[in-house]
Parts: sequence; structure tokens; C-alpha cells
Amino acid sequence: MMMFELDQRIAEQLTEVALNSAVQVRCGNSNAFMVTASTIIPLMQMFEMGGVYISANRGAVEIIQAFESIGMDVSNIQFIDLVSSGILGGTDVPYSNIHFVDSPIMLESVLLRTLYILRTTTSARNFVFLDSVNALAIYNEDRILAEYLHIFINTFRQREILSVVLNVPDQTPPLVLSNLDLYCTDLIDRGQVVIH
Amino acid sequence: MQPAAVYTRDRCVTGIHGLDEILRGGIPYGSTVLAAGTCGSGKTTLGMEFLVRGALAGEACAHFTATEPSVKLLENIRQYAFFDMNMVDSGLINVFDMDVLYSWLGLEKASFELDDVHALIKAIVDIVNTIGVTRLVIDSVTTLCYKIKSEQLIRDFLFTLGKKLATLGCTTILISEITSATENAHWSSFGVEEAIADGIIVMGDVERMGHLLRFLQVVKMRGTHHSRAKHAIELTPLGVMLTPMLKWGAQSDKTARWGS
Repeated sequence: MMMFELDQRIAEQLTEVALNSAVQVRCGNSNAFMVTASTIIPLMQMFEMGGVYISANRGAVEIIQAFESIGMDVSNIQFIDLVSSGILGGTDVPYSNIHFVDSPIMLESVLLRTLYILRTTTSARNFVFLDSVNALAIYNEDRILAEYLHIFINTFRQREILSVVLNVPDQTPPLVLSNLDLYCTDLIDRGQVVIH
Repeated sequence: MQPAAVYTRDRCVTGIHGLDEILRGGIPYGSTVLAAGTCGSGKTTLGMEFLVRGALAGEACAHFTATEPSVKLLENIRQYAFFDMNMVDSGLINVFDMDVLYSWLGLEKASFELDDVHALIKAIVDIVNTIGVTRLVIDSVTTLCYKIKSEQLIRDFLFTLGKKLATLGCTTILISEITSATENAHWSSFGVEEAIADGIIVMGDVERMGHLLRFLQVVKMRGTHHSRAKHAIELTPLGVMLTPMLKWGAQSDKTARWGS
């Protein structure tokens, strides 16, 4: 098992957020997994939450294996993989907790698939982790992405499901970034310095 | 001053996730609704779920299938978690092959005349009346109407059928196959169904960068206020799920380019 040090201040910050919060988590390229793990692990272990992990950045198998390498069992988290359908043979995976959406441009399908999973889950308290806004920005034009995040965050806030939105600020369009600042209730900033 | 009381019609609550919200409570009882859609848009699933939700509430339901054999229809629908074969065994869901019905009525012919149409209406109404059906789906009315050569006769058939079913308190979904669901399309194959129906639900695809997203739009529904926005749909094991389609992505790439 790989030695791994979590950022404990993230767990402390998460103790202050309510279930109907929307947390923007800013990270850089180099610390993305550390920040992700430091957010997800307390949600699972300290707050005993179930959840949905939307992976637009990498295939879900790679993310699951990264968690396994630090000794984390994420079999209780359902993954929605937006990447692997674009790779021939990418959907042939050994994990039953991975769901596939054909493409990151099918934003409404991602929302509906997340809602479907949340309807079938047994956890009383749930989170939705979006990894990441900058990955979605590769495929989606600024206006539709800004609109989507607005709908996405409000949908889950209304249902008292914690939404956590990961993004690398210097790879996120300024319009989307400024909208995120507006929609999100909390900010965990482990990102790089951005000069616009 | 108190606002005047507003009369609202009783509703057939479809039970379909999101649809009742769009319809502000459901389809007004006894309505004939045209569900017009392109191939693969989810028409049959929507129709079947409408019946299953009714059966779950203890209503007797009937499905007349003209596009696929009933055995195949039931096999396809079994993948959905909301479906239970016991509903068929217990008589809450009754599936009829149109071919078998034609055979019973001696209507094994290429085209129907006035008497044939009346015999068909009588047979359907008798079944509805005998079983006490409150939810009916005809899949598809397009296939059925291909046998009726006159536009006037199609109009009479649909009008009379709709009127008799409404009298019996039966809410009906007529599934219609269309080739395009864009803004310039007709909502029916023969052009008369859409005028007679109390409601029109259009189902189709929005093409976005080479991917097809299913949508549903309630164009018309007499007797209720309703949303007329496009809604994205997913066919999940729990049934049809809807969410409003993103405004910046509601038109196909073919007709509108983003950012242009």
C-alpha cells in the first residue's frame, strides 16, 4: 500500500458544511488526487455518507485503483464514467459500481443518471462529487457549462445532497469560474494562483 | 378580495417521474393523448410505464400492439424494474395483438372501409368496457391507420374512438410514429391525429456533437396548464426520468450552432 498523507484541514472545513451545501474545491494538476482523497475519505468515514463520483477527467477504473492503492475501499460509491465510452473497449471493466454515459457533452444524461443512482441508494446521506469542471470544459462551450452547473448545484441543494465540484482554476473558463463562485456556498481552495 | 375559485379537472396521475409535474398533476381523465415520436425515442417504454403505474394503483389497463408481437413486447419490458409479470397474470395489464384482433373480426385485409372501422372501434370499446379499462395504449396508431385509406375515415375513426373511450372514463395514449421531431415537423403521420387528440407529447432526439439525446415535449394538453419546454429523458431500469433540457443545448447542431 502506498504511503499517503491527507490534508486534514479539508476534513475540518467539511465539518462546517450542511447537506444542502455546494462546495467548490479548487486544486492544481499536481495535487488533484490528494485533494480529491482528502475530500472523499472524510465524507465516507467521518460523515458516513454514500455518494456518486462523476469522472470526466479520467476513467473510473483508474480512479478506483488510485483509491485502492492508498487502502481505500470505494465499493460503496457509484461512479459515473464519462470518459471510457469514448475509448473502444473502455467499458469492459471489472467493477460493478461503474455506470457509463456516452460522452461528457451529454450533460442532462449525467444529471439524470446521478438522480437515478440516488433513487436506488440505501445511504441516508449522500454527496455528488464532480471531477471536474475543467474536464467538462474541454467538450462543452462556456454558456452551456455555466447553465449546467447552475442546474446541477440547485438540483442537489434542493434534495439535500451535498455537491462537491472539483476544478483546476487555470484550466476553467473565466465565465464558468465566476459563476461557480456565485453558485457555490463554500470554497476549499488548494488551487494554483490564477491571474486573469 | 378572495381570488375566484379555479375549476380543475380530475387527473390521471401517470406516475412517470417528472411527467406529472410537467402536466401540473397528470393527464385530465378521459383524454386521448398522441405520443408522437421518432424511432428509438422511448414511445413504447413511456406507454408501457403509463400502464404499469396504473396497474400498481389497482387500475385495469390494456395495450394494443400493432408494431411488435405481445410476447416480444413483454420480453423487452421485463428489463425494467417497475414491471412485474404478475400484473399480466392477474389481469391488471392486458396485452392484445392487433393481428389477432383483426383475425377475430375477419379483418385480415389490406385496407379498411367504413364498416370495418366501425367493427374495430366496437371491438376495442367492448374490451375496454368488459374489463373496465381505465388506461389504454394503442401502439401504434400509425400502423393501424395505414389500413385506412381515406383521411376522412381516419379522422372519424380517431374521433369516435376517443369520444367513446372518454365516455367510459378511459385515458388513452395513441402512439404515433413520425420521422422528424424538429420544429417544422407534423406531430402525426396522417396530419389528422394531431387535430383530434386532446394532448400531444412529442418525443425525439437532439443531436449534440454526434450524440443523440432523447427529449420529450408536451406541445398540447387540453384541460390543464403545462410546461411546453423540451425535457431530456433517460430510460432507466426504474422507468422514464425527465429533466428540463439545457437552454443552450436544446436545438440540434444541424439547426443551430452554439456560440454563433
